[in-house]
Amino acid sequence: MLNILLRVSCLLILGVWLAALAAPVFDVNLPHGLDFTLQNSPTAQKYLIETMPGGVALLDYNNDGLLDIFLVNGGRLTSPMKTPENFDRHDPRYWNRLYRQNKDGSFTDVTEQAGLAEAGDGNYGMGVAVGDYDNDGFPDLYVTSYGKNILYHNNGDGTFTDVTAKAGVAAGGWSVSAGFFDYNNDGKLDLFVTRYMEWDTKHSKDCGGNYHTYCPPEEFPATTNILYHNNGDGTFTDVSQRSGIAAKKGRALGVAFADYDGDGFTDVFVANDGMQQYLFHNNGNGTFTEVGLEAGAALSEDGRRLSGMGVVFQDYDNDGRPDVIVTELPREIYGVYHNEGNGTFTYRSLETGLGALSSGSSGWGVGLEDFDNDGWKDLFVAQGHVLDNVESIDPSLHYLELPLLAMNHNGRFDRVDSGSTVPVAGRGAAFGDLNNDGWQDLVMTDLGGHPQIFLNRHDSKAHWLTISLRGTRSNRDGFGARVQVNGQTRFATSSGSYLSASDKRLHFGLGAAERAKVDIVWPSGIHQSLNDVPADQFLEVREPEKP
Amino acid sequence: MILTLLLLLAVGQSLSPEAAQHMQAGIAAEKERKPELAVEEFRKVTQLEPNSAEGFLHLGQAYMESHDFGSAIAPLKRALNIDPDLLPAHQLLGYSLLAQGYAAEAIPHLERTKDKAALGIAQIETGQLPEAVTNLQAALASHPNDPDLLYYLGRASGLLSKQSIDRLIATYPDSARVHQAMGENYFVLRRMPDAEKEYRQALRLRPDIPEVHLELGEVYAGAFQWAKAEEEFRAETKSQPGNAEAAYRLGSALLEQGKVREARSELVRADRLLPDMPETLYSLGKAASLDGDPAAAEKAWTKLLSIEKETPLAAQAHFGLASLYRKQGKTADAQREMQEFQRLQQSSNQAQDPAKPDSTH
Repeated sequence: MLNILLRVSCLLILGVWLAALAAPVFDVNLPHGLDFTLQNSPTAQKYLIETMPGGVALLDYNNDGLLDIFLVNGGRLTSPMKTPENFDRHDPRYWNRLYRQNKDGSFTDVTEQAGLAEAGDGNYGMGVAVGDYDNDGFPDLYVTSYGKNILYHNNGDGTFTDVTAKAGVAAGGWSVSAGFFDYNNDGKLDLFVTRYMEWDTKHSKDCGGNYHTYCPPEEFPATTNILYHNNGDGTFTDVSQRSGIAAKKGRALGVAFADYDGDGFTDVFVANDGMQQYLFHNNGNGTFTEVGLEAGAALSEDGRRLSGMGVVFQDYDNDGRPDVIVTELPREIYGVYHNEGNGTFTYRSLETGLGALSSGSSGWGVGLEDFDNDGWKDLFVAQGHVLDNVESIDPSLHYLELPLLAMNHNGRFDRVDSGSTVPVAGRGAAFGDLNNDGWQDLVMTDLGGHPQIFLNRHDSKAHWLTISLRGTRSNRDGFGARVQVNGQTRFATSSGSYLSASDKRLHFGLGAAERAKVDIVWPSGIHQSLNDVPADQFLEVREPEKP
Repeated sequence: MILTLLLLLAVGQSLSPEAAQHMQAGIAAEKERKPELAVEEFRKVTQLEPNSAEGFLHLGQAYMESHDFGSAIAPLKRALNIDPDLLPAHQLLGYSLLAQGYAAEAIPHLERTKDKAALGIAQIETGQLPEAVTNLQAALASHPNDPDLLYYLGRASGLLSKQSIDRLIATYPDSARVHQAMGENYFVLRRMPDAEKEYRQALRLRPDIPEVHLELGEVYAGAFQWAKAEEEFRAETKSQPGNAEAAYRLGSALLEQGKVREARSELVRADRLLPDMPETLYSLGKAASLDGDPAAAEKAWTKLLSIEKETPLAAQAHFGLASLYRKQGKTADAQREMQEFQRLQQSSNQAQDPAKPDSTH
């Protein structure tokens, strides 16, 4: 009886606490110095690449404790394009940009001095992945493109060096989202690169009859994704065939990583456009098996194909298992695949409330972050239709949209005001605590416009804990680690979303709790526990050298 | 058919030997599909036998075979002057006049022959729409899948509907029904804000008007405004508790919002009101599955599959069953259902674009 009473009173207290928490308030603005414009250069040719950029990364490239912002640019397109394709990336208007955050929250463009100005005239930019592939303590950048991709090694002195040729990771074709992860737990980050389709400007076409609009993906052949194995000497080996990744052609746009079946090996979820989604199960021996259909994570509840674009692979309902949320086009609601814990997933979009929230929207970048520090991960989606003339085809749809911010209430999402008032063509989204105040912020890219910075200005007294992993036996970033804090779980990664890379630090909202219990399972298999950790701090956890 | 009529007529007619010779030559030319030669031969028959209705009938028919309907009219009229009861001449003249756009003149001839298909088509042209619908429906009863008849019945019904609505607008320009009709028109044109406005006005003028809440709910559902759609569907079910579609739509709107239990209750009601509707059964299975009642889900989907076997809805039911069996650990059953789902998907893909290879594998 006493137990029941205690439980009831705890629930009441929790209820009062939750009720007291207001929805988060973001200040949406463009900080001083952040003068980037995403140049997609739309043409009358309706080249499909025009509507797909661009990525954003939140990283602390100079380890000064402040998150910096890297933004990927598209390029210049002519109507029609000539061959060989030249996107004028030497022109500063089309550069990718690195903005260093200053102590006062303003930003300084350090692109040129960092050695990031050259993106190659033949490359139309898409996305970015961030990871410390050589374990030197400085985050490296991998920039994807229609054309060739570029790996920039962080030299640790504020500059980067293009090491693509030596590393052997240029790929080719049309690369989109990419991510670093350690698929074989050897302590070195490998690289997964998604590719959209076999397409080039010579073989482009427009669709929609008199509406002249971009073609659906089915109009072009599917292609393979690429898995690069990190050899540990600055080079990578393409193991796409050997690993089984290339056995499945698709039309990938998004990628996210997590160990969904708890076997200690990181699995890969690939969001495909206009077809079934792929779940590559890591067999633990260097190979993968695509199990999306058998696992119940490939199609909608009605067996329909999805226009998968962005994806997040985290635990939304605090049951300790990573779930999948895929963003899609209108009339397909964002897919929520709940991890049942037996290697299968259940489609739960309707129960989680996403049916009503998403059936009229087009989603791209996506994140599950606890924006109100109540202990439940909330959902943010960058939105905007693919077709820039969609209103003339279907007036109920919109090219420019506000993003979706939905608060998580015990596993059900409810829309709240994000603070954004101007509809945009949202694409990439990266998440992190820009001002180190313990509240998650984010950056969203806008096709043809400036990025939007969402600064979380919540003033409640909810507590939080942000953890930085320092791998020793595992990869230095700790990517692939399972971190549990007071019953919440996060899988360490900078990947997910769409074309973007988020802050690698792991953020946990603690609600009323002033202390936390932290459990970490490192990719090396080492289990580490920390008890009675004080809340409201940035905590670096170093992996024990020995189990 | 025309040729058969004429061949029958050819029997028993008395002609001079020379005229009979030309008659035989004309008939032979027709058989050999040489209409110009047939015209020449039958013209000689009519010159030799100016009072032979049969000769003029054949001449008119030969013109028709060569698609010269204008030239067919005079000899066919002459045939009827000679023999006013010559039914084949009435029929051919009716066709020729209709083909030339003289629908009103064609109608008496087609009435004589009781050719309901041609008569219905002629009546569309003369604006006798209720009669046209009746005749075309009768013709379709004899030829159920005739594409021309299906088209003309659709056209006649559409015009009749328009005629009725035009009259409504002219007589009662600000009535609830006019606003409802305008709303429907805008809905078809996908002008949803206008449709919403008209439906709202209809409800303001006549709050108990049937169907309008349902239609307004469809506007909101089309714009993904599920809460508003629910409100309208609920209002319709309140005023028309026996309307199965309203119950189904309400159930679907509730399902979209994740209100699983309420949705299920409405869908059960829809199924009771109008049993064995595949759409209702599919949604009912889905709601039951989401509500944690796999037995009811299985029952609904299995029932659906006993009604529909090869449709997209059947594919969805197989997929639902596969997911359900997988969760229950019935691996073999799940695989079987998944195979059926994939088979139907593949045939659906091929039907959509048989030329396109599956490039996803």
